[in-house]
Amino acid sequence: MKTLFSFFFILLFSAVELTAEKTEERVQMFAALSMTKAQESSSVPTDAGVFLYNNEGQWTRFGPKIINIASATADSRNPDTIYLACGNGISRSRDGGKTWRMTTGWEVSDVKTIAIDPTDQNNVYAATAWGVWLTRDGGESWVEATTGLPKKYSRTILLDPSDPNRLLVGTEGGIYVSHDKAQTWKHVPTSPETTVFRIKQSKANPNLWIAGTHKNGVLLSTDNGKTWASTAPTLRKANIYGVAADSSNATHLAASGWGVGVSISIDSGKTWIDRSEGLPSPHVLALVFDQNHPGRLWASTFEEGTFYTDDLGLTWYEGGIYGAYVWDLGFLPQKP
Amino acid sequence: MPFFPVLFHRRLVALLAILLAQPVFSAVQPSPGASLSDEEIIRQYKERCEYILNQTIETTDPNDLSTGSLFQVAVNLHKGTNIEWARKRLVFDNQPPSGNMFWVLPMVLLMQVAKDIEEETGQSLLTNDDWAFIRTLWRTYFPYRGDTENHWIMYYVSLYLAAEMFPEDGPERWYNGKSSAENMAEAREYIEDWIKITTSYGQGEYDSPNYIGEYTRPMALLAGWANDPVLRQKGKMMMDYLLLDFAVENLNGIYGGAHSRVYPRYLVQPSLTASAAHGWLFFNQGEYLANSSNILIALSGYTPPPILLRIAQDRDNPYIHRELKRTRWRLRNVGETAFEIDGKSTIPVYKYSYVHQDYILGSSQGGLLQPIQQQTWSLIWYEPKPAGISNTMFGIQPYSSPFEGTMYFGENWDTVTDLISRSKVDYDSEDKLEGGSPYEQIFQHKAALIALYDIPEGTRFPLIHTFFSRDLKNREENASGWIFAQGGPAYIAYRPLAPGEWKPVDWTGLLKSGAGNYFSATLSPTSGFEPLAGGSESYVSYELQNGYIVQIASVKDYDSYEDFKNAVVALPLEFSLTPTPSVTFTDLEGTELSAQYGKAPSINGKEVDYSTWKLFDGPFAQAEKESESLEMIYGQERYFLDFKNARIETSILPTK
Repeated sequence: MKTLFSFFFILLFSAVELTAEKTEERVQMFAALSMTKAQESSSVPTDAGVFLYNNEGQWTRFGPKIINIASATADSRNPDTIYLACGNGISRSRDGGKTWRMTTGWEVSDVKTIAIDPTDQNNVYAATAWGVWLTRDGGESWVEATTGLPKKYSRTILLDPSDPNRLLVGTEGGIYVSHDKAQTWKHVPTSPETTVFRIKQSKANPNLWIAGTHKNGVLLSTDNGKTWASTAPTLRKANIYGVAADSSNATHLAASGWGVGVSISIDSGKTWIDRSEGLPSPHVLALVFDQNHPGRLWASTFEEGTFYTDDLGLTWYEGGIYGAYVWDLGFLPQKP
Repeated sequence: MPFFPVLFHRRLVALLAILLAQPVFSAVQPSPGASLSDEEIIRQYKERCEYILNQTIETTDPNDLSTGSLFQVAVNLHKGTNIEWARKRLVFDNQPPSGNMFWVLPMVLLMQVAKDIEEETGQSLLTNDDWAFIRTLWRTYFPYRGDTENHWIMYYVSLYLAAEMFPEDGPERWYNGKSSAENMAEAREYIEDWIKITTSYGQGEYDSPNYIGEYTRPMALLAGWANDPVLRQKGKMMMDYLLLDFAVENLNGIYGGAHSRVYPRYLVQPSLTASAAHGWLFFNQGEYLANSSNILIALSGYTPPPILLRIAQDRDNPYIHRELKRTRWRLRNVGETAFEIDGKSTIPVYKYSYVHQDYILGSSQGGLLQPIQQQTWSLIWYEPKPAGISNTMFGIQPYSSPFEGTMYFGENWDTVTDLISRSKVDYDSEDKLEGGSPYEQIFQHKAALIALYDIPEGTRFPLIHTFFSRDLKNREENASGWIFAQGGPAYIAYRPLAPGEWKPVDWTGLLKSGAGNYFSATLSPTSGFEPLAGGSESYVSYELQNGYIVQIASVKDYDSYEDFKNAVVALPLEFSLTPTPSVTFTDLEGTELSAQYGKAPSINGKEVDYSTWKLFDGPFAQAEKESESLEMIYGQERYFLDFKNARIETSILPTK
């Protein structure tokens, strides 16, 4: 009994340690982008790839220079394992970006986002323009996972951290849910049958999810992604490409889109206010709340630069990468 | 600054050399292939290959490192000329490497050529440092695989052959972190899959006068250099297949009919296309045109079967030729008629061509069959020397929409049109000359064609227009409503179903400005807008419910132009544009053709059944859907491609 108690105590202590580590998780912001502003008489952007934002406020290339990288994802338990969502497939590094291997063959292309199972890093899921693909062996082999998806085009995929069997994917036909690790998918009935560009979950309030759609504006879920409803009436017919939830404040949400700039909610999505003034363009395609600066919001305009605000959009500051078409802004965990 | 006049002078000399050299071949009318022996056809073909290589050498300036393609480098290595220039140019051109799938292909070519020479002579053309430089490029430069089938087939064939040169190399030697064995396995799988799909369901980027070379280059690479006997054989067989596809719709070296992809300059001047360059090389028709695909093919040793030239040249009897193709893969908005192959969506493309010794009228059914550059129907007429002549006619509904862009590309709805227009500059212009439309429906029977349009309110460019070449003669608007003209040996009758107006081609001025390098904005006899397209006109109609009828005839079939016009005016014609456009028309052969927008057309009251369409169906070519085979027939000569078994059969058919 004493031994058991000691074991339990050690486990508890370890868990506290882990939690403490997690709260102090070092992360670095990335932008997956193509430099299209200067692309003239050409189908090829002048530059492309993943760029990291460093402490000096500079963006530096990370990983290979490949055209058409849409996103990057790293294993939160092992930050050295990083996946890039590429036009050519899924590239993986196991040494923090020193070397890379294209893990997929010719069947996988136009990858948009990748999700890693936090409980088992061998399970990785990818939303691609041709459907969902998964691996059970950490990227050594991939199989198509589109059973139940009538329209395969998939843009965004998320795993429910409270239930690693449960995933949500945004497709051309709306939001679909899987309860068996992407073996089968079912339409979420309250989701409109339109392309869903981006889904995010609030870390501060895991029941709160937000999605951006094609011509259906912003969708909100307050029951952990089970049901969805339209919000932000002024954006109801807009194409919303960027959504964000503030991990430091459960009430703060943001949405952005084409021609509508950035809108903010400070009451968990009940009401919204336009905060586009000060941005050079109303076309904002990527959004993220800064995990290194609580309350800071980043927004990437189409080719007119990336900006940040520390006062929920009242004031915007230049954040660089002018000329870029940013597909995704996000954070990669760093080694402690 | 002092170098500029020197370089300019050398380029001028090179240009003059090309121009002066051309009449050697262009002055000679090709002999009918039927009268030539196999040996003679092959001898002449090899002579043309040699001519290409010699021309490429002649246009090399060994003192200028700033120009010269990697194809040119390969030829110089092959011929043992200008070796120092070739070595330095290789390095200069790769500072830094660019071009992605367009880079891998010529790189592999020059590597293979250098290796061939080294193996044959025991002498190294490239130094160890050169090879180390090349290997570093393959380790550090990550080429994008692209977003079309021509990109992918170039990428994978090149990757296969590059890896095959270094079969034992590990993943650390390649940009993608895969070993040579892994790269070869992946590439082979794609190549075999593409061949299987193409020979089962038709080519996705079908019959492109511009992009034919993007397919013949990789196939010739396989045919010339693959060590694997099956891939080598399949490369040769696919070359035969692609060239047959061209040969049956060829008229004196020009690709007729409907096309998946054509650029503006080539739409108005068909003799400038890559297919025209192939027409000269393979069919001994038309004129020599410098072309990188021809360079590679000349180096590869690929020799076409003589039956191809015979088929291409024989226009003694007019014939109907049908083909089944497919669209490029559709990502979104796939439509109700879509079906899946290997989990990817496409729809069938029904091609119909009427091939006559004086003209080819060809069409597809209309709709969005290909992104951006589709030519839904076209007429070309015979010209003995087509260079500089705009011997063509076609019509379009200038559709531009993110609906089409997102159908074929993974881009965002709001950015896709803009990004398409960065390279295909005229895509979003109302006077563009190419493109499909969901509001267009085409029906053709022999030399008659009916086009119907039902354009919804609010469509970005609510109009249709038809290209009337400056090289047409005797154009007149008849009181009957018909517009008549003569193109070479073909009479043309065009009956608009709604009023229209004449405008100069490129009435917005986009192409004149040199947009997208389609035309030179400056005066240039070979690339300026005026020399190539100036003087032609478009017949433009802004009625939303619209259509026209085209009837072609050979000049030799009528005693006079007046006779032709009178015959056409007398033809029975009924049409209405509301509630939907419909036409019933009896053609010059007395066949009644009926078409109603949104419904299947009929011939003499019998509905056309597209479900039975074969991959190839004509007097010279037969292939069933999903057959993975192709039968070529010329007289008693039979040439059969069996892709399932990577086998070619030749036989003599019994006399009929």
